[in-house]
Amino acid sequence: MSLSRAQVKFLRGASGIIGAAVAWEILSRSELFPPGFSPPLIALADAAVRMLSQIDIYIHILYTMARVLGGMALAFVIAIPVGIGMARSPRFERFFIYPLSALMPIPSLAWVPLFIIWLGLGNATTLLIVTYAAVFPMIYNVWTGVRAINPIWIRSAGGMSASRMQTFWKVIIPASFPYMITGVRLSFGRAWMAVIGAELLAATDWGLGRLVFEAKEWLTIDIMLDTLIIIGLLGLLFEKAVFQTIDRLTVERWGIVKASD
Amino acid sequence: MPVLFRFERAAISLSSFVTGLVLWETIARSGYFPPAFFPDLGTIFSTLIDLIASGILVTAAIGTLSRLLFGFVIAAVLGVTLGMMMGRFQWVEDTFLPLMSIIYPIPALAYAPLFVLWFGLGNLPSVLMVILGATFTVAINTWKGVAAVKPIWIRSAEGMGISESGLFWRVILPASLPYTLTGLRLGIGAAWRVLVGVEMLTAVDHGLGSLIFGAQKFLNTDVMLSGIIVIAVIGFTIERLVFELIERRTLVRWGMVTT
Repeated sequence: MSLSRAQVKFLRGASGIIGAAVAWEILSRSELFPPGFSPPLIALADAAVRMLSQIDIYIHILYTMARVLGGMALAFVIAIPVGIGMARSPRFERFFIYPLSALMPIPSLAWVPLFIIWLGLGNATTLLIVTYAAVFPMIYNVWTGVRAINPIWIRSAGGMSASRMQTFWKVIIPASFPYMITGVRLSFGRAWMAVIGAELLAATDWGLGRLVFEAKEWLTIDIMLDTLIIIGLLGLLFEKAVFQTIDRLTVERWGIVKASD
Repeated sequence: MPVLFRFERAAISLSSFVTGLVLWETIARSGYFPPAFFPDLGTIFSTLIDLIASGILVTAAIGTLSRLLFGFVIAAVLGVTLGMMMGRFQWVEDTFLPLMSIIYPIPALAYAPLFVLWFGLGNLPSVLMVILGATFTVAINTWKGVAAVKPIWIRSAEGMGISESGLFWRVILPASLPYTLTGLRLGIGAAWRVLVGVEMLTAVDHGLGSLIFGAQKFLNTDVMLSGIIVIAVIGFTIERLVFELIERRTLVRWGMVTT
């Protein structure tokens, strides 16, 4: 009996994951680490069931999501005018280019201690750290996207006596949309790391990062590992479900990029 | 779009710089924050000079950079190898891709508490986290690069009787280099961001992250800002100078991309 390509692919993928699970189980039973520091899979599953049947984990998830999305929304509000301004006006571009290239290479987490002193522990600090992490990829992509618009589109809109507002909404925004989505996508990756890091460092009451931190204090490694898996799955869900749907509903439907790639 | 004259360009850049400094100084002197929370430019500058002169910032920067380089070299070797294997052999791709897509979205920093429990404080957890933060980015980009090598190049090299190792070194490696370099560049950026965070969490002996975090206890905002300035300079240097130089020496010289 020969297997189809899809079946082979599935079996190989499954064997990779099972292999990793077996390797973990061996590590867990090898007593390389003190007992409880690398709990076996059954303990992880047990803790996962306990966690998921209580309300707390969902509140942690909600807090983390709210911080990520709030920070990204704030970053978007900053990035759109700055990015478009830089692309449309050379003076504006000149003015912002050096401050941006000085701030961009500083990892957002480097600001955590300073923000804690300025704003205290809690939501304001975490939110601003996420905004800082998310804003630069967004500005960069909006800027590149608007610059990449075919000038003939803008000129022909002007030739058809489109007002500035019409040109903005009907030409500039849709034409630079693929870049904007790329920007949001890249900044999600950064924001996701920043929120977990900020929650670890600027310990607040709720949040997945905070949960990891608490699990370390209480030495409940099973809960810590389950939280890591939840963090990974949420990240994956966003990447796959949310962004690919946005792509399909907007850019592909408008025919700006070919649906094939 | 109107083209700016050289003079105007310089004037705008200068005004941007001056605006930033004046804004900072105004907030510092406004009394809205206590001076210890928001030091003025003179204090920051003299602290920066003191910290450099006393060698504290230099040892911290050397500590951070050596962790970064040590971890990144390992990550680059692992990532390029894994990516090349995934690109060349279908079974490697099939086996590793599902596993990677689960591990990849977990920010490396989230492992910090676990690694501290496993390996203690010190250099080992931070180097491991650098490796974890960079390897997958390098691997995924390398894999895409190998997949993007034109099949006709491979076929014609094979038609001219090239050996398997010759095919790898003279066709696949150079042809996928633009992607590999992108992967290395993104990877070191990710590693850099993780490392600064990890140094804060694990309190390593000499490191810029731990310097900043330690300064929080004594409300030394001037020390923090000096550390942040050094972090900015190092980050900028890695991003701009090192990788642009490598690109000019390889891709541009071989005519694979134009500047």
